[in-house]
Amino acid sequence: MKNRISRRNFLKAAGVLTAAAGLSACGSASSAQSTAASQAASTASSAASAAGEPVKISFMGWGTDDEIAAYKAMIAQFEKAYPTVTVDYIVVADNEFDTKLQTMIGAGECPDVFYCSIDKMMKYAATGNLYDLSDYVANNAIFDPDNVWTCLNDLYRFDGANQGKGDIYALPKDVSVFPIFYNVDLFKAAGITAPTEDAPWDWNDFLDAAKKLTSGDGDSKVYGTGAYSLESAVWSNGAEWVDAETLSKVEITDPAFTEALQWCADLHLVHGVAPSPDESTALSDYDRFKQGKLGMVGAGTWSLGDFTQNCKFEWDVMNWPVSPNTKKSEIWFGSAGLAVSATTKAAEAACNLAAYLAFNEDSQRTAYQMGQAIPMLKDMAYGEYSDSTNPPASKKVLFDILENNARLATQSRTFNQEWFAEFNSNTASVFDGEMTAVDYCASIKDTVQQLLDESIEQKAEYTGK
Amino acid sequence: MKKGNKLMRREGIAGLLFVTPQIVYFLLFFLLPLCICIYAAFTNWNILSVRHTLVGLRNFDKLFADPKFWKALKNTLYMLTPIPFYLLFALAFAYCCHKKILAEKAFRVVYYLPFISSIVSLVLIWKWLFNAQYGLVNNFLALFGIQGPNWLGDPVWTRRMIVLMISWKMIGIISIYYIAALKNVPISYYEAAQLDGASSWQQFRDITLPILTPTTFYLLVTGMIGSLQTFLEVQLFTPDGGRGYGVGTIVFYIWQKAFESSQMGYACACAGVFGLFIMLLTILQLTVSRKWVYEGE
Repeated sequence: MKNRISRRNFLKAAGVLTAAAGLSACGSASSAQSTAASQAASTASSAASAAGEPVKISFMGWGTDDEIAAYKAMIAQFEKAYPTVTVDYIVVADNEFDTKLQTMIGAGECPDVFYCSIDKMMKYAATGNLYDLSDYVANNAIFDPDNVWTCLNDLYRFDGANQGKGDIYALPKDVSVFPIFYNVDLFKAAGITAPTEDAPWDWNDFLDAAKKLTSGDGDSKVYGTGAYSLESAVWSNGAEWVDAETLSKVEITDPAFTEALQWCADLHLVHGVAPSPDESTALSDYDRFKQGKLGMVGAGTWSLGDFTQNCKFEWDVMNWPVSPNTKKSEIWFGSAGLAVSATTKAAEAACNLAAYLAFNEDSQRTAYQMGQAIPMLKDMAYGEYSDSTNPPASKKVLFDILENNARLATQSRTFNQEWFAEFNSNTASVFDGEMTAVDYCASIKDTVQQLLDESIEQKAEYTGK
Repeated sequence: MKKGNKLMRREGIAGLLFVTPQIVYFLLFFLLPLCICIYAAFTNWNILSVRHTLVGLRNFDKLFADPKFWKALKNTLYMLTPIPFYLLFALAFAYCCHKKILAEKAFRVVYYLPFISSIVSLVLIWKWLFNAQYGLVNNFLALFGIQGPNWLGDPVWTRRMIVLMISWKMIGIISIYYIAALKNVPISYYEAAQLDGASSWQQFRDITLPILTPTTFYLLVTGMIGSLQTFLEVQLFTPDGGRGYGVGTIVFYIWQKAFESSQMGYACACAGVFGLFIMLLTILQLTVSRKWVYEGE
């Protein structure tokens, strides 16, 4: 009890300090509740960064190991081109991405640049979380609209009511085509000639080819085709999930729609040329194709790298068959965007990063060389990419699809996708043969319509329109 | 007298300061979010912006009218079914350890391993084990001529598989509780019973089991609360809740509504309702417990 601090007093002081620290942490956490900071403020601070102060920005995305490696390479190139900027690259698994992003937004810590899928763009834009890139695009010659695939232009525009017009909220990070990949060796063995642009297939030609390709039993079974893209079947047949003008009426009970759905299911049920849903759960059509046990499979150009490395047979791509009723063929295309956060404190640097990753020639080149994607820049696609020796041999098919047959998936044009998820929740019953397409669509139409109505209501709530 | 009061007061203040960090933690990370959640349940908050409007009881109307919610509730209650089984199995195992019938240490490691393993790795392995065509489980059943079901594709069997996984995981930790509890049974009781000529089984039934009832009660309550919150297994095995939502549990439903549909206010309402439900179940268990739990001397 002399001058030295007694144990009791020491512990008292420690307790007070901890409490004070806890309360101050509380204070800083609650102040991070802001929404869209005014863009003027962030531009002012980024003007300071443009003047040469070192700036740190965060970039969040998902991807396979190859994609992550490709992006690390591109970020390194960016940091060399912009020496005052350091990029903190955060990788998140794709199934956790939305959760993590929304939590970060809620905490006021949205990453400066992040992947934004087209499905979610409207939601994020309407809630003021995306930086309006229109001025940046207007003032910077980052891309020539004529040199970019038409389907990508206007993709990430939103005017507060509809997707496709208005301000730009994201830059396309890539474009993915979804052709049919086919096993050239199996085709040659069965004596099948692939379709060409002048001599396309229709559904009957496709079915004949699939029948010729199906052979064997048990472990050596080879199937002619994997599951057929429902989008291709429905749209090519002139049908729609939802009416194209107003996006408010569900049309899944139209005869053209149910005919398309039933045709897809009959590939397995009636003709036996596709695996059953159970077999596809056990071994996916994609993996079966890679093993050489499936003749034709719909897959995206994001798989080019995987097929190049892992397929021990020659493969190529072909366009989707036309419907015999309409002679049309349509298929969806994919794209993810790069968005800038509305609350970024380094808008200039963040926009530069987004533009660099999106359109820079070197980054495009790296992406196609690694088999990640095909170039978004048309001159590069028709030029050096076409001349390159990596597969597929028929690269022109990919360009044809993009120019002539690709359209945005219907569910990406509605404010949320719950109606689509509901439709898909039990299509397995049609593919199993438990219900006919007509019965299934009739049974589910009301619920899907209700969810679509709720999506429209939700948009009205968010946008006030 | 004065000196005594001063001492007591100083000790009181010291004690208060000791618990202050814990109280602050509780307030910040439990009470505050709870209040926000209750408030949000009456709004249409979407986590993407702070802007929200009060909508009264609309969220509650919606959730009681949603057939998916009731399906999820049914699936969640199904997750309670393994509790009696794994309690029994864990008790048997703990008893064998206690009586040194088994190679205790080796088995304890083997049984505890699933509990401390990462769920993601476990699910990955189980997905292959239970693969309908190529999995070890179905190939093993085929040896006996049994056609294995489609574990991952048929929601009925996916539910059973998840229940199996929960039981398998919990046996380890539950046995540890029971082993500890068994060690606490006073040996004098057994000695007295032996003197009176009681058989092993009678000793187990009339001494061990009743003395274990507080532990069993605790494990029942926490097991129930834990099982009702099954989420990760569902999300990892079936990204959409299974065909016809046959596997989705309530917490999975809440997560979907909160993060996939961005309806945070609605999700808070669901969470509140479900929290109340769990609380009611627990209170029920507490009241019934007076009838069968041994209170001690």
